[in-house]
Amino acid sequence: MKSLKDKYSIVGVGETEYSRHSGRSTRAMAVEAIRNAMADARLGRDGVDGMMSYQSGDSTPSNWVSADLGLRLNFFMDVVGGGSSTEALVGLAMGAIETGMCHTVALYRSMNGYSDFRIGGTGARAAQPVRGLDLAQVPFGMRSAGQSFALTFMRHMYDYGTTSEQVAHVRVAHSKHASQNPKALLKERVTVQDVLASRWIVKPLHLLDCCLETDNATALIVTSAERARDLKQKPVYVLGVAGRVNKPRTDFHWAHGPISRVAGYHAKDIVFGQAGISPEDVDVTGSYDAFTFTTMLQLEEYGFCKKGEGGQYVSGGIIELGGRRPNNTSGSHLCEGYTHGMSMVIENVRQLRGRVDDYCPGWAEGKHSYDYSPGKCRQVKNARVAMNLGWSMPPTGSALILRN
Amino acid sequence: MATVEYRGMNLVIPENDSEWREHFKLARSHRLMLRGCKGCGLLRYPPSHGCPWCASLDWEWKEVSGRGTIHSYEIVVHAIQPGFKEWTPYPVALVELDEQRGTPTEHEALRIIANLVTPDFKPEAEQNVAIGKRVRVVFQDIGDDFALPQFTLSDEPAQGRVWQFPG
Repeated sequence: MKSLKDKYSIVGVGETEYSRHSGRSTRAMAVEAIRNAMADARLGRDGVDGMMSYQSGDSTPSNWVSADLGLRLNFFMDVVGGGSSTEALVGLAMGAIETGMCHTVALYRSMNGYSDFRIGGTGARAAQPVRGLDLAQVPFGMRSAGQSFALTFMRHMYDYGTTSEQVAHVRVAHSKHASQNPKALLKERVTVQDVLASRWIVKPLHLLDCCLETDNATALIVTSAERARDLKQKPVYVLGVAGRVNKPRTDFHWAHGPISRVAGYHAKDIVFGQAGISPEDVDVTGSYDAFTFTTMLQLEEYGFCKKGEGGQYVSGGIIELGGRRPNNTSGSHLCEGYTHGMSMVIENVRQLRGRVDDYCPGWAEGKHSYDYSPGKCRQVKNARVAMNLGWSMPPTGSALILRN
Repeated sequence: MATVEYRGMNLVIPENDSEWREHFKLARSHRLMLRGCKGCGLLRYPPSHGCPWCASLDWEWKEVSGRGTIHSYEIVVHAIQPGFKEWTPYPVALVELDEQRGTPTEHEALRIIANLVTPDFKPEAEQNVAIGKRVRVVFQDIGDDFALPQFTLSDEPAQGRVWQFPG
């Protein structure tokens, strides 16, 4: 299998604050996030010559942002895409560098996802005219991501006996993690009862089964392992990457079941094949939490447990800090902020560096207490391999395996 | 450019929409018709340009019985679209049609998204919705050349396991 294992690195990460009212443009936020990532990587203006971003018609293009950063780019590309895009763009950045098109790429996602265009379907999105394939679902009152995915979640409950109580543990775990994260919008820990008592959005989803909508920008810097070794920041290396892998019939994925199966079924062999490892070798995961169910479905599909046992996997303590394989240790989309995926990769980079920004006074020097009680530590001990499972929709996903 | 207004939405089907225009027009004549591939003989939904199995561009309209089984569903309690607020809670169903089940491979079938409605086009009550129940197509007229295929519970006995969301 073709692989660029160990040849590429993520050398910088950065973000703006997570809020419901940024009060500024996606351009301004993108610039801030990339500046932070470049500072994190200790890179100057000659250090970045490529740029990529993803968006859903709600962002700002690379050629405007690069101007504000004083950069001259050898390569840039802005794509339409959602939650499976970060991992895919890391792979494309590797490809662009591999061909010699550029040497270092800044990737970003900038969105006023609360104050402007909401992925949840209200606001600007609700008013859009309905055309093309949207006519197969929108006229029937199926507009938002939650409404679109609920059929998959319901069928998984039918096929495997998965319960609301089981997936509620995902929210509980991510809320515990967010209580260790100064950046998180929602730091309060919740219980399974809190999740089950929260109001219905679209059955089987309660309010607390659903992620946040926020305003923010996030950025990553990707370069070759050779260049990374000359930089002052601790690099993390890419072991494997799969991008925007699909089930058959991505135009109307319900035509080709089982509909309780998601894209990871097809992606897992690609990404684990490149890395030459198995799920057992992964210490930390970042399984996209648009909803509690998506985290569960992907962990199951990529082989962290047997098919159909995702409910047990997420409710048995494994995914919590202190457990065998913590997941989404920043609190992620359910509790930290909604970034369409990039924040999950950023968190795992910090985990692998041993420098997550928790409440330990020496976090920046890698000094952690490993006390996971509220308001304390978020660092996973001895994290060597991290994996991100990016989700666009049931039939489309991406994955990234990193090591330190 | 043809626009049909329905529940506060603008459904846009221009003259050059060679996929949907005829589909909804045929629905207005109260027939459920799908594209049948002339290359391999398989029916497909949605009405796509090429055959997803053999890639042939030759097809013809074929009528189907309109009968099927609920394969999955959801109950929208909090409407996202303002025009659906008065309808909540409403069911959205994924209906598996009787034709071409398990064809060409075991997990494939003709499946359609629609609302589960009463015969007078109100949302079916939540307690009556379940995976495995039998349904039949009904047509909700919303324009001169436009009807939405919807589904209503039929009086046939259920197929296999009947399962309802416990929450």
